[in-house]
Amino acid sequence: MTNTLNEALKAKERERVQSADETIHLDDVSRVKVLSPGQQVFKRFVRNRLAVFGTGLLILMFVFSFIGPLFYAYGQKQIFYKYSTQNVNYALAKTNTAYNGYVVNSEVELSRKVVNAMNSNIKSMIASEEELRCVFDGEEAYLIRKLGHEVYTLSRAELTPICTTGKAVVRIGTYSMLSKSVAYAEADAEEIPGLDAAAAKNCKGKNGSFELDGISYTFEMGKAKSFDLYTEREGFVYTASSPGEGFEEAVERAVGTSGFSYNGKQYFLSENGKTAAVYEFLGEEVGRVYSLLTLDTYTTGETISDDFRPAALMAAYGSGSFTANGAAYTVLPEENGALAVFDADGKEFAEFTDFTVRRYTGEDTMDYDLKNAIMDEILSMLSEGKRTGKLTYPLPMQNETGSYVYDDSGALQYNDAELTITQRDTGEFVINCEQIIYVINMYEAPSSRHILGTDGDGFDVLARIMYGGRISLMVGFVVVFLEILLGIIMGGLAGYYGKWVDNLIMRLVDIFYCLPSMPIMIILGAMMDALRMNTYIRLIIMMAALGLMGWAGVARLVRGQILSLREQEFMVATEATGIKVRSRIFRHLVPNVMPQLIVTATMGMGSVIIMESTLSFLGLGVKHPLATWGTIINSVSSASAMAHYAFIWIPVGLLICLTVIAFNFVGDGLRDAYDPKSKR
Amino acid sequence: MFKYTVKRLLYSAIILFFVMFIIYALMYNMPMSFVETKARELASRPGATKSYAEWLADLNAQYGMDRGVVGGYFIWIGNAVRGNWGDSWAWTIPVTQVFKNTVWYSFALSMVSYVFEILIAIPLGITAAKKQYSFADYFTTVFSMICISMPTFFLATLLKYVFSVKLGWFDLSGMQGRNYMNLSDFGKFLDVAKHFVLPSITLIIINIGGLMRYTRTNMLEVLNADYIRTARAKGVPEKKVINVHAFRNTLIPLITTLGGMLPGLFSGALITESLFAIRGIGYASYTSMTQADIPFIMFYLSFISILTLLGNLISDLLYGAVDPRVRLS
Repeated sequence: MTNTLNEALKAKERERVQSADETIHLDDVSRVKVLSPGQQVFKRFVRNRLAVFGTGLLILMFVFSFIGPLFYAYGQKQIFYKYSTQNVNYALAKTNTAYNGYVVNSEVELSRKVVNAMNSNIKSMIASEEELRCVFDGEEAYLIRKLGHEVYTLSRAELTPICTTGKAVVRIGTYSMLSKSVAYAEADAEEIPGLDAAAAKNCKGKNGSFELDGISYTFEMGKAKSFDLYTEREGFVYTASSPGEGFEEAVERAVGTSGFSYNGKQYFLSENGKTAAVYEFLGEEVGRVYSLLTLDTYTTGETISDDFRPAALMAAYGSGSFTANGAAYTVLPEENGALAVFDADGKEFAEFTDFTVRRYTGEDTMDYDLKNAIMDEILSMLSEGKRTGKLTYPLPMQNETGSYVYDDSGALQYNDAELTITQRDTGEFVINCEQIIYVINMYEAPSSRHILGTDGDGFDVLARIMYGGRISLMVGFVVVFLEILLGIIMGGLAGYYGKWVDNLIMRLVDIFYCLPSMPIMIILGAMMDALRMNTYIRLIIMMAALGLMGWAGVARLVRGQILSLREQEFMVATEATGIKVRSRIFRHLVPNVMPQLIVTATMGMGSVIIMESTLSFLGLGVKHPLATWGTIINSVSSASAMAHYAFIWIPVGLLICLTVIAFNFVGDGLRDAYDPKSKR
Repeated sequence: MFKYTVKRLLYSAIILFFVMFIIYALMYNMPMSFVETKARELASRPGATKSYAEWLADLNAQYGMDRGVVGGYFIWIGNAVRGNWGDSWAWTIPVTQVFKNTVWYSFALSMVSYVFEILIAIPLGITAAKKQYSFADYFTTVFSMICISMPTFFLATLLKYVFSVKLGWFDLSGMQGRNYMNLSDFGKFLDVAKHFVLPSITLIIINIGGLMRYTRTNMLEVLNADYIRTARAKGVPEKKVINVHAFRNTLIPLITTLGGMLPGLFSGALITESLFAIRGIGYASYTSMTQADIPFIMFYLSFISILTLLGNLISDLLYGAVDPRVRLS
C-alpha cells in the first residue's frame, strides 16, 4: 500500500520537473531577475557593512528604549531606599554640674531672681564652705540651707530687722529758719555746738552741704522754710530694742559672713556697701530642694511621680523615710555621696547619683545595668588616663526598619552591640554605637539588583537610561519631522513659484541660517528656568524651537532639487493635464526629493540628539524628574561625582555616541544606496 | 569682484538687521517679571544707589522696553551702530570691555585647534581617498564618524576623567595653576598653555571628523575626474598625479571652507570653554545667558551673526579667487 503511494508520488514529481524544464527557456523574460528601484536601493544598502551595523544598532536602541521599560522591573521615578548601619550617638554621660530644683511646697512663693541665681549661690557657698546663707531680693529674704552632700533647700525666711551697723546716713534734725535753731530728731540727742550758726549761714537753696568741725552735713529743703539736716554716722542704729550686751561685738565679728547666732537666736546680716542690716530669724518655709543628684531606678522604665524626688531628697538627711505614690520608702546616704532608696520590703529601689547617663536624643530611658556598665568603664578609663573606651553590651535589637524587635511573648530582644565611649573636650562622655537607619540608596555601585547602580536621587540608572532614551529619541524624531515639514512647505513653494516668492522665502532662509541656534536655546532654557516652567511644557517648547531653527537647510535642499525638476517633462505633463498646483508640488515634485530628505532626516536626527543632550547636560533642557540622556550625565557632572561615579555617566555617554553614530552610518549608507555617484 | 563684494556686504547687512530683530524680539518678549526681577536684584545689591522703581524705569528706558518692540529695536540698533553697547549686567563693566578681556583667550584656543585640525585631518583624508576601501580608509571613515557623533560635553568629561582624575596630568578646569602668581612670565605662559591642552584636544576631536570626511570626499571626486585619468594615461608618475594634479584641485573646496572658518575663530567655543572654565568669550557669554545679561547677549549674538556672514562671504570670495573657472557676479 505505502509502496504504491510512494511510486505514484515519485512519478508525479518526475513529471513536474520535466514540464518545468520545458517551460523556461534561455531567452525567457522571467529568467532575468528585475529589481524594482526600491529593491536596488535596499540591495546596495545591505552591501554596506557600516550601514547594516548602524541599522542593527538603531533597532537595538529602539527596542531598548521603547520596549525595554515594559520588561524592566523599575520605573524612572522609583526611588530606592536601603537600610544602612550608621554610627550614631547613642548616649551621653556626664558628671552633673547644674543643680536641679524640685518643688517641695508649691505654696511657698519664691522670687524668680533668687531661683535663677541658685546655682551660683550654691557654688559660692561651697567655695566659702558655708552651710547656710541668706539672700535678699528687695524686702524678701530667702534661706539656702545645706542638708547634706549636694542637697540644698531654698526656703522663704521670716525675718525682723534689729538694727543697722556701719556708716549710715542719719537724720540729725530739722533746722527752722524761723526759730533759727535745730530741732533734733532724737529726743536724747546731744546738741552739736555751732550747728545752729552753721546751718543759718549755709542753708540756702534746695539742697547742699557744709562742713563743721570736720564733719560734713547735707541739708535738704523741707516745708515751711525748714531744712532737714543729715550726716553720716558710724555705729549701731537700732530699729528694735537691743538684744543685749555683747550683741554689737557679735555683729562686728559676723560682718562679711551671712549670719551668726547670739543668745540662742539666729541673726542674719544684709550687707549693702558700708552698712549692714541685722535681722533676727523667726522661721522658714522650705519651697524647693536643690540637688546635683539624679535619680536612676533599678527597674528600667519605672514611672516616678513628681513628688518622689523632692520627698526623697528632703528625707535623705532627715527622717530617712518618706512616702510617695502611696508607698513608703527609706533613703540612706552612701559613702560616695550617692543616696540609695529602698522600698518598703527593704529592696533597693532607686539611686541618686551625681553622674548621669542618658540617651543622646532623650527619646527613651536606658537600662540601669547599662548605665552602671558605662559608668564602670568610664571610671576605669579615667583611672587609666584614657579618653576612649569600649564595651560590649546587649542593646535592644533593631530590625531593618530601625524599630525594636519583640519576641512572641512581647519581650524586647537584645543583641550584643559594640559601644565606644569618647571623652569630649568639654568633659562629657559620648557613647556611640552602630544603629540601623533607613536611607535613600544613593550612588550604589552596579550590582545584580541595579545593573548600572543608582544615581544621586536613588533612581535606578538603567531604568533612567531606558526612559531617557525614549525622550531623547522622541525629541530627535519630532524635531526632524518639524524641520522636514517646514522645509518641504517653504522650499516647495519657493522652488515652484520662483520669482518674488522664491526671493522672499530664500531671504527668510538666509536669516534663519544665520541665527545662532545654541545660544538661542540656552537663552530659552534660562528663561524657562526663570519662569519655573513645568518640565513637560519645556520639552514641547524645546522641540518646537529646535524645529523652527533647523528648517532652513531642508528648505534650501528642497528648493534646489525642485528648481531642476520643475523643468522636466513630467512637470510639463502635469501642467498639461491640469492637475492642481498643490498636488503638483506635493504629489509630483516633493516625492522626487524624498531620497535626499530621508538622508538629511537621518543625519539630522543625530545632531538633534546631540543638541538636546547638550542642553539637558547644561541643565537648560528637560528637567528632573524626567530623564533624558543629557540629564543623567548632568546629575553627576560635578567634579567629585564625575570622578567617583563613572559607572553612571560613561554608559550613558557611550549610548549617546552609539546612537548618533548609528544614525550617521545609516544616513551615509542610505545616501550611497540612493545615489552611488553622489558627493558626500 | 569689488562690486560683488559690496553687494554681498550690503546684503549681509540686511540679513543681520533682521537676524538681530528676531533676537531682539525674543529678548523683548521675555516675561516682564524677568526685568522686574533683575531690577529688584540690582536694587538690593550691596551698595546699590538706586531704588527698585528707579532701576525698573531705568532698565525699561535703557532698553527701550517702554516703546514697543520695533521702536525699542531701533533705539538699540542706533546705539549699537554708534558703538554704544551698554554695560553688561552680569559683569558690571562695559560690554566692549568684557569682549576685549575675553576674546583673545578664545582666539588662542580656537587657533591652536584650527592649526592642528588642518595638520591632522587633511593628510588623513587624502590617505584614505588614495586607497579607497583599504583598512586606512575604513579606519578614517569610522574615526571621523565617531568624532562627529561625540557630544562635546561627554568628550570633555571623558578627557577630564582620564587625564585629570585618573592620570593627574592636568587640572580639572580653570586657566591658571595654583602658584600662577609666583611664576615668571614664561612660566605663566607655560602654565596657561598647559591648561589649554585638554580644551584644545576636545575642540580638535569634535571638529576634525567633518574636515576629514570633506577632504576624503573631495579627493575621491578629483581622483575620479577625467584629467587624472588623462595624466595617468600619459604616464605621469603616480606621486606627481596625487601631489600635484589631484591635491591642488582638492585644495579648492578645502581652502574656501577653511577660509570661511577663519572668522569663527573669534566666536569662542561655548560648551568647551564653559566646561573647562576657560575665561574666553564663549564662557563669558554662557554665564551671561544663564543670568539674562541682555546687553552682553545682544552684543555676543550680533558678533556671532556677523562672523557667520563674514565667513560665508570670505568663503565665496575665496572660491572665486582660487578657482579660475568660477566667475563671481
